[in-house]
Amino acid sequence: MTRQVRVRSRVLALLSALTVLVTVTVGFAPAAAAQGYVAISGAGSTWSFNAIDQWRKNVQQFGMRVNFSGTGSTDGRNQFKAGQIDFAVSEIPYGLTDGGVKDYPPADGNFAYMPIVAGGTSLMYNLKIGGKRVTNLRLSGEVVTKIFTRRITMWNDPAIHADNPSLTLPARQIIPVVRSDGSGSTAQFTAWMAAQHGAIWDDFCREAKRATPCGFTSNYPSLKGIIAQDKSIGVANYVRQNQSEGAITYVEYSYAKNAGFPVAKLLNAKGYYVGPTAQAVAVALLRARINDDLTQDLTQVYTDQDARTYPMSSYSYMIMPTAVNQKFNDQKGRTLSDFAYYFLCEGQQSADRLGFSPLPINLVQAGLRQVARIPGSTRQTPDLSRCNNPTFSTDGTNTLAKTAPQPPECDRKGATAQCDDAGKPATNTGGSGGSSGGGSKTGGSGGTGGSSGGGTSTGGTGAGGDGAAGGGGAAGGTGDGAAGGDGAAGGGDGAGGGDGAEGGDGGDGGSSGNTATAQPVSVDLPQRDGTLLVIAAAVLMVALVAGPPLVARLMRRTGGRS
Amino acid sequence: MTTLEARRRPTLSGGIDGVFRIALRTAGFLVLGLMVTVGGFLLFRGLTAFAAAGPAFLTTQTWEPDSRNFGIAAVLVGTLLIASVALVVAFPIALGMALYISEYAPRWFKRFLTSAIDLMAAVPSVVYGLFGATMLQWNGLDVPRWLSIQFGWIPFLDVPEADPDNPLSPLNVYTASSFWAGLVVGFMIMPFICSVMRESFTQAPPGEREGAYALGSTRWGMIRSVVLPFGRSGMIGGTMLGLGRALGETIAVAMIISPIFVIQPHILGAGANSVSALIAQQWGAASPFGLSALMAAGLALFTLTLIVNFAASAVIARSRSGQGSDA
Repeated sequence: MTRQVRVRSRVLALLSALTVLVTVTVGFAPAAAAQGYVAISGAGSTWSFNAIDQWRKNVQQFGMRVNFSGTGSTDGRNQFKAGQIDFAVSEIPYGLTDGGVKDYPPADGNFAYMPIVAGGTSLMYNLKIGGKRVTNLRLSGEVVTKIFTRRITMWNDPAIHADNPSLTLPARQIIPVVRSDGSGSTAQFTAWMAAQHGAIWDDFCREAKRATPCGFTSNYPSLKGIIAQDKSIGVANYVRQNQSEGAITYVEYSYAKNAGFPVAKLLNAKGYYVGPTAQAVAVALLRARINDDLTQDLTQVYTDQDARTYPMSSYSYMIMPTAVNQKFNDQKGRTLSDFAYYFLCEGQQSADRLGFSPLPINLVQAGLRQVARIPGSTRQTPDLSRCNNPTFSTDGTNTLAKTAPQPPECDRKGATAQCDDAGKPATNTGGSGGSSGGGSKTGGSGGTGGSSGGGTSTGGTGAGGDGAAGGGGAAGGTGDGAAGGDGAAGGGDGAGGGDGAEGGDGGDGGSSGNTATAQPVSVDLPQRDGTLLVIAAAVLMVALVAGPPLVARLMRRTGGRS
Repeated sequence: MTTLEARRRPTLSGGIDGVFRIALRTAGFLVLGLMVTVGGFLLFRGLTAFAAAGPAFLTTQTWEPDSRNFGIAAVLVGTLLIASVALVVAFPIALGMALYISEYAPRWFKRFLTSAIDLMAAVPSVVYGLFGATMLQWNGLDVPRWLSIQFGWIPFLDVPEADPDNPLSPLNVYTASSFWAGLVVGFMIMPFICSVMRESFTQAPPGEREGAYALGSTRWGMIRSVVLPFGRSGMIGGTMLGLGRALGETIAVAMIISPIFVIQPHILGAGANSVSALIAQQWGAASPFGLSALMAAGLALFTLTLIVNFAASAVIARSRSGQGSDA
């Protein structure tokens, strides 16, 4: 009797477990390979990971299974060289010399480069003034280089202020965050620094005990004060934490976009501060010299005289086999070629939305020629007019670059007012704010000092230099002029006030004067609401792991009792 | 009696018994062979790097193998720091947990706790890494801050970069440190230490337990005079097992730390390093020579782990001989 019960309940439990397993595997498995595609796998760039991952998901509906792991460009190239993966994605080609070591291409030479997407290496930062997130930070190339080489360590450095006359930046330390793994983002970023500000960069390398001239490198030199994190997502995660206020990192624009964080506008050769929008990247890459093997030479991009250029723009490359080898066969070639046809044509539409920039027509055509070289390629000739690629035009020019708007006058270096988030000049109607700040100061510090400080701040449209000059005349005024929305700095400088609480008041007043410059963005809103799925997955996992032993124990106990 | 043994022996030593003996001996030598192979492989591949660096390999802190300027002084010290933090965290928890399970917990709860701890050991280290890197170190930031402010006079708990008086000073100086990496590694090794300890505690002979009670000792008195002395070898063995794992823990550490290549004695301050994390982060991007340097670092870690384990087994052997007289 008891034995029968036990057997029956055991069978029941087994059945229920099987049901769960079947539901899981069948329910979540992609539709059966409709056209008999063979799964392919690739690895490499985290810079372009967000785009590839989206495309990869998009082609699942056609039965293509493409696995891509963002392990870093260097790792992708090495794995491809070792024949461990079917394709690699990298920002830089083989054959470059990094730190005196040449990265030799695969010995058999059966590979080709294909540009897959363009984008801007952006400077994502986490900075607040008076509790409000700064979203319109502007940086010149030299300042960026000095920040990432620890020559500039404070946000209120005069050099940063020169780039941001309308912002009164706090006396907060800058935390440069770099990649700790071998990375194409690092390679692009350091190539730009080495080309544009070689002396500062070499100095830094010497300090980090590297051989100089340093040139570009995939492994950022380590130095005290610089935080290094693993992978693009690691640096982006580090910067976005509330506790890492003052941090700045270089990462592809899509990561900042996904995190809901602002990126700095970078000064281009024409003297305009431009952000890494799809259009600015497209304009910049008009100057990229494309070599015969489709690799890029970006030196012209860095010094492009177009006012709309984002200087740190580049292409990302897929490295793919052009001959059958032990690992790669015609069936895999079929999958890879159809995947490539998808993202060269249709996939480019989503580039802008994802935080990248679509490829221009000449590179798409060149890419299509490369796809035909894949063994087992399906050799399609897609109708390019139906790709809906925003760069394509009837006359062969790059529409996206052609229609790119000129940067507003307020984004010119030396313009009196700095653009706010909406692209309008930050009209520092600091009058009301400034004087109210001065007023609140007055209570503690004596009328003349406070009011004269407030007055100066108004006149100078928030320029710290003017404020400080005003402060020279009247001790109380310094707080108003220089604080500009930053409580603690106000507290330190408000010599007339003399205590912290008043500094806070001054800060409030100042920031209300500068509302145009520091607008909050919704950072904590979930970008993609996957929470429910995560919870479901967690519950399922716990059930799968803890379920069977618990059921077994329950059965054992009931069996023992009866 | 003797005739029985004499009759049995010939059947035992021949046939299946011989096969069994050979199989076991092979398995034993296989383990030894594997160890030697790993060590030999590391030595062979690291030879280029050893030759290039010379004895400076042990004293240099920088890690720039492509500039021929590299050594393991910083990473090895970092490894030891992280492992020590892990042990400091894991040992008391594991000891308390093991004692509670073996001596105090009611039967049903005992089984539940045992499964829970086994489950904890089964969680992959990347999960611990994620937990530490994105959640724990940010939400628990006040812990190292408090420690460094209150106990900053102890040199290794000081955080020189921090400025608690300045509200604008960055809080991230308390993240990505040896402390956080060690804490998470401590969580990871705790179940291993705990289960070894629990096993040895439950094996304390019931006769002695009863005797202690009969002499009027309380439960704590019994634990102190019977369970702990009997379990000493298990405690040491479990701790050494945990230490071995802590020295080699890779992914969780790599995800949390911000690698720096100077000896960082301030365990609460940002910047840490460990040999295994260094290998994990750099091997994918390493040049052939860099790879050789990583192998050399791996050999150093291998040797360190061997020394630790041999030391542990020596300690256990000694304490066991003492235990034998007790029993």
